[in-house]
Amino acid sequence: MSDFSEELKGPVTDDEQVETSVLSGAGMHFPWLQTYIETVAIGGKRKKDFAQTTSACLSFIQEALLKHQWQQAAEYMHSYFQTLEDSDSYKRQAAPEIIWKLGSEILFYHPKSNVETFNTFADRMKNIGIMNYLKISLQHALYLLHHGMLEDAKRKLSEAETWRHGEKTSSREILINLIQAYKGLLQYYTWSKKKRELSKLDKDDYAYSAVAQDVFNHSWKTSVNISALIKIPGVWDPFVKSYVEMLEFYGDRDGAQEVLTNYAYDEKFPSNPNAHIYLYNFLKRQKAPRSKLISVLKILYQIVPSHKLMLEFHTLLRKSEKEEHHKLGLEVLFGVLDFAGCTKNITAWKYLAKYVKKTLMGNHLVWVQEEWKSRKNWWPSFHFSYFWAKSDWKEDTALACEKAFVAGLLLGKESSWRSKNRPQTIMADSFFLAWMAICMYSLGTGDRLEIPLACLEMLRTSKLDGGWAPVPLE
Amino acid sequence: MDFPSSLRPTLFMTGPLGLNDVSDLSMCSWQNVLTQPEAQPQNLKNGALHVTKDLLWEPATPGPLPMLPPLVDSWEPGLTAQDLLFRGGYRYRRRPRVVLDVTEQISRFLWDHGDIAFAPIGKLMLENFKLEGAGRCTKKTTVVSVKKLLQDLGGHQPWGCPWASLSNRQRRFSILGGPILGTSVASHLAELLHEELVLRWEQLLLDEACTGGALAWVPGRTPQIGQLVYPAGGALDRLHFQEVVLAPGDNPQFLGKPGHIQLQGPVRQVVTGTVQGETLLAVRSDYHCAVWKFGKQWQPALLQAIQVDKGATGISLSPHLPGELAICSRSGAVCLWSPENGLQQVYKDPETLVFRDSSSWRWADFTAHPRVLTLGDRTGVKMIDTQGPPGCGLLLFRVGAEASCQKGERVLLTQYLRHSSPECLPPTLHLVCTQFSLYLVDERLPLVPMLKWNHGLPSPILLAQLLPPPRPGCVQPLLLGGQAGHLQLLHLAGEGVSAPRLAGPPQSLPSRTDSLPAFPLLEPKIQWRLQERLKAPTIGLAAVVPPLPSASTPGLVVFQLSVAGDVFYQQLRPQADSSPRRDAQPPGDTRPDCRAPTASWTPQDTAGCSQWLKALLKVPLAPPVWTAPTFNHHHLLGSMELQREEGVVQQPGVLREAMAQGRLLLQRDLGSLPLADPPPAPESGPADELSERLREAWAGRGAAWWERRRQARTSGPRRQPRRPKRRTQLSSTFSFSGHVDPSDGTSPPHSPEGPPAGALPRSPITSPSQELTPDAWSQGIPSERRQTLHDYMAKLPLQRDTPGHAGTPPSSQASSTRATHSRQHTPILSGSQHPRKKPRMGF
Repeated sequence: MSDFSEELKGPVTDDEQVETSVLSGAGMHFPWLQTYIETVAIGGKRKKDFAQTTSACLSFIQEALLKHQWQQAAEYMHSYFQTLEDSDSYKRQAAPEIIWKLGSEILFYHPKSNVETFNTFADRMKNIGIMNYLKISLQHALYLLHHGMLEDAKRKLSEAETWRHGEKTSSREILINLIQAYKGLLQYYTWSKKKRELSKLDKDDYAYSAVAQDVFNHSWKTSVNISALIKIPGVWDPFVKSYVEMLEFYGDRDGAQEVLTNYAYDEKFPSNPNAHIYLYNFLKRQKAPRSKLISVLKILYQIVPSHKLMLEFHTLLRKSEKEEHHKLGLEVLFGVLDFAGCTKNITAWKYLAKYVKKTLMGNHLVWVQEEWKSRKNWWPSFHFSYFWAKSDWKEDTALACEKAFVAGLLLGKESSWRSKNRPQTIMADSFFLAWMAICMYSLGTGDRLEIPLACLEMLRTSKLDGGWAPVPLE
Repeated sequence: MDFPSSLRPTLFMTGPLGLNDVSDLSMCSWQNVLTQPEAQPQNLKNGALHVTKDLLWEPATPGPLPMLPPLVDSWEPGLTAQDLLFRGGYRYRRRPRVVLDVTEQISRFLWDHGDIAFAPIGKLMLENFKLEGAGRCTKKTTVVSVKKLLQDLGGHQPWGCPWASLSNRQRRFSILGGPILGTSVASHLAELLHEELVLRWEQLLLDEACTGGALAWVPGRTPQIGQLVYPAGGALDRLHFQEVVLAPGDNPQFLGKPGHIQLQGPVRQVVTGTVQGETLLAVRSDYHCAVWKFGKQWQPALLQAIQVDKGATGISLSPHLPGELAICSRSGAVCLWSPENGLQQVYKDPETLVFRDSSSWRWADFTAHPRVLTLGDRTGVKMIDTQGPPGCGLLLFRVGAEASCQKGERVLLTQYLRHSSPECLPPTLHLVCTQFSLYLVDERLPLVPMLKWNHGLPSPILLAQLLPPPRPGCVQPLLLGGQAGHLQLLHLAGEGVSAPRLAGPPQSLPSRTDSLPAFPLLEPKIQWRLQERLKAPTIGLAAVVPPLPSASTPGLVVFQLSVAGDVFYQQLRPQADSSPRRDAQPPGDTRPDCRAPTASWTPQDTAGCSQWLKALLKVPLAPPVWTAPTFNHHHLLGSMELQREEGVVQQPGVLREAMAQGRLLLQRDLGSLPLADPPPAPESGPADELSERLREAWAGRGAAWWERRRQARTSGPRRQPRRPKRRTQLSSTFSFSGHVDPSDGTSPPHSPEGPPAGALPRSPITSPSQELTPDAWSQGIPSERRQTLHDYMAKLPLQRDTPGHAGTPPSSQASSTRATHSRQHTPILSGSQHPRKKPRMGF
């Protein structure tokens, strides 16, 4: 900036200050900024031919990849290798990673490449980008795993595991843990194969003991490999799952439970619903007491109220003796039906219809009122609209009936809940009317005469005390 | 709902962004394609390998085609980086940097609107100016003669002219007026200007106004018919409703002229949605939001419009409840809005979510729970329960180590992926786009992205649309649009209990500039205009999967809207060759890998393009905003203007007029031709002694030449032919200044022998080639001395045209005539003064 405008901004001496003031200190990075600057020939350092050609080549490769022109991308890649000789040390260091990224992608999709080519490339790249040795090894192993080459993948992981270079950093340690865990996972695959063989064999078979021995050896190795990683905060579902299965197989139930409890309840871990699901499933397998199961699902309910286990949770709560559990059971059902993905879950509606009725009859009107209070301004248009009445009726009559019943219970005048003697007033409501309108419509067209009759039958048989006055259909 | 039974292993780290390089293992996009290793190894061998390797949508044409019949409005490509950034200077810096060019902008302002900039100060400083040319007895140094100043400025050069020079008077004036002009005008103006420039520059870097897109598709009565809703008109303030018929396997047909609604402001975002059979249209302008409902006849009927004082930044329609919307404003407020119940403020916090960021951009969207909204800003995305206590919520996405974000990464777009049918992706996914990456976040597992992919788009992603699977059982395409027209198509899989993943490599779609070859060959100016038009930023994106007649080949039509109001469309077909896995191929198979680009322009396409181009060329160009500066000081100094000759003044006027009209300046505009100047003859240099001597020496007369030369030197002791001008000046200054009465400086006494003083003002007509006329050279001399000089010149005996009377030796006379002779080759327009030059040579 010229002196003139520099004066205007006050004493600005440092270049960095100029820059940040222009970008208003946002700290946001704009990847397209460079091209803007290049359009204005600011007298900065001109790019050298070498840098120009490599960056052009890079953009050609990226373009070809996005157009799925693998052959062309591979040809450009040949030329791009020159970037490894860049005089700019920063670029030279970043180059191997970029080459690996693009090259592995080309080889993954190229119709003429095969596992051998990929292996060669990966082995070369590991040693060029010495800093990326572990990452590339891991990805290489995943590639082999993807192609079903378990043994090769295991070998690659073992190689990486023993690799030492420079000083140990925490990030490298985590990577080594991850590599070991993957190795453990592969061992688990072999183990579970052997286990299946074992289950097929007769106990008196001469091979039995040898296989059993094998199975035991594997277990020990795997536990060492996986246990280190799953202590680090993260999402380690496949590892935890296989580890627990092995521990369970050898009867180390406490160990398995500890692993799962840690995985689910450690504060440092993200609130992974799977952690709670695994723990619940484990406890269920172990035939844990109901209260324990409820306490696990209670937390899952707080994280994912829409999970399909919630219906199981509801049954558990319903069976419980405690009153507060009964109340929670109602809450859980309402909670499930709040979600867009669960609106057509007929089991949930069935449960709700039954349970609301039961609650009302059990003189717990307040519970229903409490739940209904926060929903009364949106459930009618969300669940009980004319549109849904019509479409549910067409697609799933049973669902429509359940919904109609719940709607009748919920949308009826609140006072009617108290007067147990006049349940028919419960039905006097918009949804019910809408639903009746459909019935009338189908009556008018005369194609499905049995529908209203079936509904009436359902309503009549519902065990509401008091009389039922049939709605005039004419 | 099912939750993925096993998630991809991810390291979880908390902290600021730019920390985490370990967990960013997803270096390659192919990794995202890999399915999770299942617990059952046999699955791995059979199921997991079903990766759709070549999931490619083939464009039917090499580039998108314009909508026909053409409806083209005038449009100007606003500011560019070139207009704002400082050019030049800063050489030898290690890296180029962003420097806003306040200097040029302010200098342009001072030139263009000098009256605004300086008039008030001029009035304040009036006592320091002397407006009349011949001021009377003011000797104060603080008074400046405007006449002289304007004379100096008469030949002003534009800013940046390397030949610009300052006269003493100008310099003195600037010293005098500097403190006042510099502090008040420049500092105030520059402050405001700088602020404005920063704003413009930020807008150029990231124009967030059209986030979400201003193009939407409204399905019609039948699946084949629908409407495109988009803003058009130069200011984007006319909402168009264009009916479109989608014929399977054919280009979409645009039916008739679009209906339109005129609005009061530019439309920034258009959202449509069908909930429970009710189709709504929501429109966001800068300070207004409105919602329409489509009736039975597919005619929009306005439901409600509201004003947002602080400026609305986002609007979204609820996918659950008909007639419910979420809007957010720059003040940090999020409101739930329904035409029946009005506005309900759900959240308000002017601060950003995760860390402090200056951007006031906010975004609100819905989630799988109808009462839970998401609020996004540049630093993260939060879920807010509208029924819970105000202010509380759960962070869904954090720009930080959790998602292993890079330094400087910010959220550009967040969207609830709503078009989910149960057999496809779960309805709990949210898309978060930054400058670098794309994240898929499940609201059931906040903070940990289910999928991260480095999109590498060179322009900000502000548009995204998740499409329904074109065929049952297919993966879902996700369309991404960058502001500069880049389009990418991703394929998302992840139904049921499997975690969401990319199903195949991402793909880029042609942008509007790729259709340039479809247009006829044009002359450069029009070609450039067309190119500019095609390069206009994309502000809207809509994709439609046309209905399948026989479930044979599903298609995809992508519509895009540019900021110029042009709608282009592109047809896509999935590639028929779902190639068998290459492992299964024989090793020697030489199947050509590089598919020849099958798409090409049909004559119909090019005809359409020419038709569109014709409409574009019919649109008149907007008149230039910038006009040439005018300096109106005639009312101050009428006398000066009068002295100008008609013909001389007229020519620049004619030229300016011709430039404004953009035509050539013809000879007939200028009137009669001036007399042709004689071609300049090669001047003989000032006594080229060396060549003369060499020539003589070559001829063997070197000694004679030297002798001649020596004699000549000794004979004329006062002979100094070089630089006569300076000598004259010096002599006049030094010899006579003492003799003159100081009062004479302003009122010259008439000398009987000299020319009349009235002849002096005629000097401006003289040709610049006559640099030695007293009037011309006297301009650099202070006025009080100049008069002295004139008087002196008038008294000189050599003034008369009688060389014989001069008391100068003949040798000197000879050299002086030679000098004058050489000068006479140059054109002389007013011959009355050239005899005066002779005597000066004799000094």
